[in-house]
Amino acid sequence: MSWFILISKISFALCFAFCIYTLFRIISLGKPKDYAKTKGDINSSIKYSYTGGMSPVKKESAYLHLPTYIAGILYHLGTFLSLILFFLNVLGINLTNYLIIPIAVFLIISGICGVSILIKRIFKSELNSLSNVDDYISNVIVNVFQFVTIYYLFYLTPTYFVISAVLFLYLPIGKLKHAIYFFAARFHLGFFYGKRGVWPPQN
Amino acid sequence: MAELTEKNINKGLTILENFKDSKLLTNLNSCVHCGLCAESCVYYLTFKEPYFVPAKKVDLISSIYKRYFTFIGKYVPFLANTKEINDETAKEMVDLFFGACTMCGRCNLHCSIGIDIAYLVRTGRMMLAQMNLIPASIQSTVDSSIKTGNNMGITTEEFVDTIKWLEDELQDEMNDKHARIPLNDSNVNILYTLNPREPKFFPLSISAMAKIFYAAKESWTISTKMYDVTNYGFFTGNVDEATVISKRLYEEVINLDAKELILAECGHGSRAFRWEAPNYLKKEFDFDSNTSVELIAEYIKTGRIKVDKTKLKLRVTLHDPCNLVRNGGILKEQRYILDQVVSEFVEMTPHGIDNYCCGGGGGQLAMSEYNERRMKIGERKAEQIRNTNAKIVVTPCHNCVDQLMQLNSFYKLNVQIKTLAEIVADAIIID
Ligand code: SF4
Ligand code: SF4
Repeated sequence: MSWFILISKISFALCFAFCIYTLFRIISLGKPKDYAKTKGDINSSIKYSYTGGMSPVKKESAYLHLPTYIAGILYHLGTFLSLILFFLNVLGINLTNYLIIPIAVFLIISGICGVSILIKRIFKSELNSLSNVDDYISNVIVNVFQFVTIYYLFYLTPTYFVISAVLFLYLPIGKLKHAIYFFAARFHLGFFYGKRGVWPPQN
Repeated sequence: MAELTEKNINKGLTILENFKDSKLLTNLNSCVHCGLCAESCVYYLTFKEPYFVPAKKVDLISSIYKRYFTFIGKYVPFLANTKEINDETAKEMVDLFFGACTMCGRCNLHCSIGIDIAYLVRTGRMMLAQMNLIPASIQSTVDSSIKTGNNMGITTEEFVDTIKWLEDELQDEMNDKHARIPLNDSNVNILYTLNPREPKFFPLSISAMAKIFYAAKESWTISTKMYDVTNYGFFTGNVDEATVISKRLYEEVINLDAKELILAECGHGSRAFRWEAPNYLKKEFDFDSNTSVELIAEYIKTGRIKVDKTKLKLRVTLHDPCNLVRNGGILKEQRYILDQVVSEFVEMTPHGIDNYCCGGGGGQLAMSEYNERRMKIGERKAEQIRNTNAKIVVTPCHNCVDQLMQLNSFYKLNVQIKTLAEIVADAIIID
C-alpha cells in the first residue's frame, strides 16, 4: 500500500474514532433530567425537529437568505458525495464512466457554492466579524477536498489522499465537528419544544 | 461592576465545566458562524450592527469554553479566537447577556443548526451570577423578593388593605355582600398568584380576575405570605435565589392544601414556576400549575362563565408573550378566549411562536441602564401594532403590559393595553 493511501486511512481511522467518542460522550451525558410535567408530545416534536422544523419555509435563516441557503445545501451535499467517493476509492470500487461526468459537474457546482460562501464570509461585515481562523481553514479544506476529488475522478494523484488526510485530521479540532453536534442540537431543540407543547406547531 | 477576582472567575467557569447532560456541550460546539440568525433578532433588526447578531452571544460563551476546556483553546487559541475571562470579556458578557438579549428564543427557531441561543445566554448569566457580576438594578428586584416576599417590597398591611378595598368594589359591582377576594383560605381548589405590579399599580386586573372567579363560582384564595408569581432569579441566573423564591410558592400551595396553582398573567413568572421550579427543587410537583389563560379558556368552554362578544365593538389585537407562547406552548387558548369575547380580532404579523418580543423581556424592564436600547428595539412591536389598526392590544403578561404602555406613549400609538382577564371581565354576563 502506498504511503499516501496509508496516511489517509490512518487519518480516517483517527477521525472515525473521534466521531465515535464524541457520539458516545453525547449519548452517555444524556438528555436533560426535566422534572416539570410534560405538556406536549416529545417524540413527535423531536421528529418534527429533524423534518418540518428544518423546512426552508419555516426558517428565516433559509427563506430570508435563499441563495446562501441553497449554496449551503449544495456545498454540504458535495461534501457528503466526496466522502462517499473517498470510501469507494479506498475500497477499490471504481465508478462507471457514465457516472463520472455528472458527479464531476455536481462537485464543480458544489465547489463554486463553497467558494461563494467563503467570499461572503470575507466581505460581509456581519459574517466577517463572527469569523475566526478556523472558519476560513474549514471552508478552504473542504473546498480543496471537493476540487481534488473532481481531479481524482479523471487522474490519479497522491495529493487526493494527502488532502483527505488533512481533512480527517482537522475535523476533530475545528468547527467541522458540527457534523456530529448538529444532530444532537436538533434533538435537544425538539426535546425542549416537545416537553412544553410548542412543537409540533399548533398553528 | 464588582471586582473580577481569580476566585470569581473559577466559580464562573464551574458552570461550563460540569455538564449535567449533553445539552450544554452540544450547544457550545454547534455554531458554524453562518450569521443567518441575524434577522431573527429584534436587536439586530433595530441596530443593524454585527455586535447584535445572536451568534455573537453564542460565540462569546463558546470561545470562553474553548479557551479553558478544549485542546484548541489551550494549545492553538488563535484558531478559534478563544477568550480568557478578564475585565474586558466580563464587560462584554454583562452587556451581551444582560443588556442585549431578552431571552425571547426567537433566534432558536430560526438558527440554521437549531442551537438554543437563549439557553446559552441564560448559561452566560449563570456564569456572571457566580462571578458576582449581576447588574445591581435587576439584583435589587431579587433582593426585594427574598427580603419581603414580593419583588416590589409591598408590606402585608398595604397588600391586605388593597385587597379589602377591591373586595368592597367587587361587592358593589356584583351587588352581592358575599362576593369575596379570599385571603389565606385553606383546602381550596385554586391558589391564585399575582404579579406585584397588580396590587401596586394595576389593581383593576385583580378585580377582573376576582369577577371571573366569582362568575365561575370558584373555590379559590390568594396567600398574603406568597402571592408573587415573578421570579427574577430566573433572569439573573442566580439559581440559589431562584430556588428560594420557587420553594416559597411551592410550600404555600402545600400549606394551604390547594389542589391547583394558577399562575397569573405573567410570562416569565409562569415559565419560572411551571417549567423551571420543579428543576430548581429537583422534584415533580404533586399538584398542577396552570396559567390563568388556560383556566379562563376552560371556564368559557365548559360554560362556567358566560360572555357576550358584542359588548366590545373596538378592534382588538394580541401580543404573544415569548415566555408563554414560544417557551410555554400556550397559543390557542388566548385566541379561543378572544374569539369569544371580542367582536373584531386581528392578528399581528408575525404572531404565535414567531412573534417578536415587545422588548421588555429577559428582565430588561428591571435594568434602567438599558432603557434606551429597550425603547428602540420596541419600535418593531410598535409598528406591528400600528399595522393592525387595532384600538386595543391584549396581552396575557404584566411585564409586556408595562413595556407596551411605554411603547404606546413613546411611539404615539393611541391604543389601550389590557390583560386578558380585564377584557374577559368586561364581557362577562352575570346571571
Ligand atoms: S433570544 Fe431573542 S433577543 Fe436574545 S439573541 Fe435570540 S432573538 Fe435576540
Ligand atoms: S444561525 Fe445558528 S449556526 Fe448560524 S451563526 Fe447563528 S447561531 Fe450560529
